[in-house]
Amino acid sequence: MLELMVHGSPWIVAETIDACVAAGARVARPGEFTRRAVANGKLDLVQAEAINELASAETAWQARMARAQVSGLLSSRFAELKSALTDLLAQLEAALDFAHHDIPYDREAAVAGRTECVELARALLATAAAGRRVRDGVRVVILGPPNSGKSTLFNLLVGHERAIVSPHPGTTRDLVEAELEIAGVRVILVDTAGLGETPDPIEQEGVRRARGAAAEADAIVQLWPVDGHPESPRGHDDGVPVLRARSRWDLAGRRHAEGGWLPLSCVTGDGVAELRDALAATVVEEVVDLGGAVAIGRRHREVLERVVRELEASDFDLPELAAEAVRVALDGAGELLGEVVVEDVLDRVFAGFCIGK
Amino acid sequence: VIVARGYDVVVVGAGHAGCEAAAAAARMGARVALVTLHRHTIAQMPCNPAMGGIGKGHLIAELDALGGLQGWAADRAGLQFKTLNSSRGPAVWGPRAQCDKERYVEIMRRVVTRLRGITLVEGEVMGLMTDTGAVTGVRLADGGRLAGMTTILTTGTFLGGVMHSGEERRPGGRHGERPSIGLGAELKGLGLELRRFKTGTPPRLKRSSLDLDRLEVQEGDDRPRPFSFRTRRVQNRIACWVTRTPPEVQTIIGDNLHRSPLFAGVIEGVGPRYCPSIEDKVVRFPHHREHTVFLEPEGLASESIYVNGLSTSLPRDVQEAVVRAVPGLGRAEFLRYGYAVEYDMVAPGQVDRDLVCRGVPGLALAGQVLGTSGYEEAAALGFLAGVNAVLRSRGLAPFVPAREDAYLGVLVDDLVTRDHVEPYRMFTSRAEHRLVLGVDSARERLMAKGVRLGFVAERAFHVEHMRWEARRTARAALEANPLNPDGPTRDRIREIVGVELRAPTTWAGLLRRQDIDVDRAASAAPDLTGLTDEDRKIVIGTLRYDGYLARHRREIDRIRRLRHIAIPRDLDPASIPGLSREVVEQLRRHRPETLAEAEGLPGMTPAAVAILAGRISRGGGA
Repeated sequence: MLELMVHGSPWIVAETIDACVAAGARVARPGEFTRRAVANGKLDLVQAEAINELASAETAWQARMARAQVSGLLSSRFAELKSALTDLLAQLEAALDFAHHDIPYDREAAVAGRTECVELARALLATAAAGRRVRDGVRVVILGPPNSGKSTLFNLLVGHERAIVSPHPGTTRDLVEAELEIAGVRVILVDTAGLGETPDPIEQEGVRRARGAAAEADAIVQLWPVDGHPESPRGHDDGVPVLRARSRWDLAGRRHAEGGWLPLSCVTGDGVAELRDALAATVVEEVVDLGGAVAIGRRHREVLERVVRELEASDFDLPELAAEAVRVALDGAGELLGEVVVEDVLDRVFAGFCIGK
Repeated sequence: VIVARGYDVVVVGAGHAGCEAAAAAARMGARVALVTLHRHTIAQMPCNPAMGGIGKGHLIAELDALGGLQGWAADRAGLQFKTLNSSRGPAVWGPRAQCDKERYVEIMRRVVTRLRGITLVEGEVMGLMTDTGAVTGVRLADGGRLAGMTTILTTGTFLGGVMHSGEERRPGGRHGERPSIGLGAELKGLGLELRRFKTGTPPRLKRSSLDLDRLEVQEGDDRPRPFSFRTRRVQNRIACWVTRTPPEVQTIIGDNLHRSPLFAGVIEGVGPRYCPSIEDKVVRFPHHREHTVFLEPEGLASESIYVNGLSTSLPRDVQEAVVRAVPGLGRAEFLRYGYAVEYDMVAPGQVDRDLVCRGVPGLALAGQVLGTSGYEEAAALGFLAGVNAVLRSRGLAPFVPAREDAYLGVLVDDLVTRDHVEPYRMFTSRAEHRLVLGVDSARERLMAKGVRLGFVAERAFHVEHMRWEARRTARAALEANPLNPDGPTRDRIREIVGVELRAPTTWAGLLRRQDIDVDRAASAAPDLTGLTDEDRKIVIGTLRYDGYLARHRREIDRIRRLRHIAIPRDLDPASIPGLSREVVEQLRRHRPETLAEAEGLPGMTPAAVAILAGRISRGGGA
């Protein structure tokens, strides 16, 4: 291995590469170095997967999660599952192959072993949602009746005039999305059409889309203007955190906000800092259940779900059938770590790489 | 000029590997020289008096289906028959028999001395004859030479053998027999790497000195089952006994551990973990206060009792103290003391699938010299080495079952492609397709091949063929014939099986249920009445495997397809990203023609095979 250090000039770099190629070298294929490191056992597949993520990380949390994965933290959790499965298989195989010695088949112990393995796999599966939020962004949806100041708040948080703002109710009819970073976390902020009765078919569609966005939200900012709508909007009860704000507070006069509602005026700027802080806290809350910054990706989730399915459907009355299921599960664990490779998993993993890693 | 007598095959050693090799080759019409030190040491069982078991019983069943001798001989020498794991499904049944050792030797001696084509040569092999790197026969101590197109070495524990008993250490291959010294050096001279293995055996006690009446008796099966399709009926003639080591054995051994060659560092060879000595067990499992001991007669008329579970190389006085601490053995007299033996074997990965050494044409290996342990593994390898020696001499393709077809295939594949650092014993856990490789299907899988090789008579094949066809028919009927919950059927099922039939099903559906007494239900199934008890058990047992069997069949189909995928000649392995340097090196050196061949190379991982398959399927050349 030869390493060349050259001056940073792009021209010099290009010249150097051309000279190497002319001398018989070739330019590395996407992900080739990492792939070689995996083939030669320097990295496992899980670590390799995170290298690309680390290189393309845009937020502190993405970098943190990718770094933890490169360091082997996630691999060690997979290894833990694999080790538990290996223990279980050893127990079953011993009962089969040494039946004439002192090793009876202890069905209860085997079932307990299975439960342990399923729990380990489930604990890993539970990190999938947090992992997705870090990678793809926490979706924060602003909801409220028409003309409650959603787009004004949206533009304020985004930092520029992204959404059209007007004094007329029903200005926003489609979803407007913007990407920003809050507290080191990627956030997809979504502005929506005002929720309310309307005869206009276009506005009706806008309301439908707003409800759809709310259903997929990781967090919701709920606005309730002090003027106009006397009734408080219905809450969301599916466990999604909701930040509540009395908007247009500059029109409120001398009164107190209801408990749990933050006074907010995008005109005077009152409450904006508090809302920002509350939003930051909520967003971090949504990703911190990444125990030790470990979260599985989509490939891992597919395999782990298969492992759980296989174990739960198995027949532990006959140790040879239990062993069949555990062998399949163990293959799954090997597949996670890249030791057992089905078809072109490797191609899939390395397809996302760009040159030179 | 010394004139060498010419043979097709020269077999060195007449143990279980040597006898099967010689018999198979001779029955195929070859001229065979079988060289042994003494004619009375043919086919000895130098360790335990049992044949078969789990994994090993599978090997015997397969060898028998092909027409090998071991199962047939064990039936005739058998004193007690027992199928292990009989409460489980048919895939893991492990037929096993206690044998009369002397009788076994007699039977095998009669075969190999009477079989036309075998010349029994009593003598000591001093070295190999070679011609430009190929082995062309053997040199004997008396100056004689035996030339052979293939020489099959089955040296057992004799190659550089050293026996240990306490502080005592002397050259020896087996109790009372000298080792072979010069042959090892010649193998090294041919470029083969040797490795040191160790095995051991327990003491033998005098039956009349034991208080057997006090001990738990172990009987054979109520319906003893023979190994061989050539045996009509077998009978249990003896019982065995069970006892346990008391806790003080731990103290006795602990106090004398420094006198054990194993722990004093005198023995460097690696022994089998699955067959540990009592000193090993006491050290490795200090929390086990007791260890089971089986007392097994070595013959019908023999005074000798084999003490299964007390394998040891401790000094004699310690052996006596340990044995006499065990209930029932307080007054035990020793006929022979336990010992350990170290020997040379040819390190794994140096033979091809026909068991011929890579780079040494004419030299094949079988049995312990290949690193296995056990009579059954030895016989299986000997048989394959003998058959393939003849096929090779006729320019025919070798006979090597695949991993998914037989335990024989698992055995060969493991020895050829995988490293093993201790004596290799067959376990069912080694077979990834265990559910389809049961003893119940051995004949269906292999008997036709036995007929083609000329070992199995057509008529015997047809008898067995009818049996598996009957099972198949019964099976199909169980699946097809409806079981409707009408009045009389419901009453009948409730009465016989004890469950309420609510929805329409089939007998197969009913028998798959886990909440019923399967035996009672089976007795009521009209489609099973024509079958023997054993066939009925097989049909029912296989029903429960169903979903998994389908998965295995798919996987086996996939492997078989893989096997036929050709690797383009111009494919440069170095151009394939993702292959490790080691794999690239192996592919370059061996230039496999199909993916299956590539898969069998040492160091090939499933990942590497998948990458290679991906590249070929995309039509990638160099």
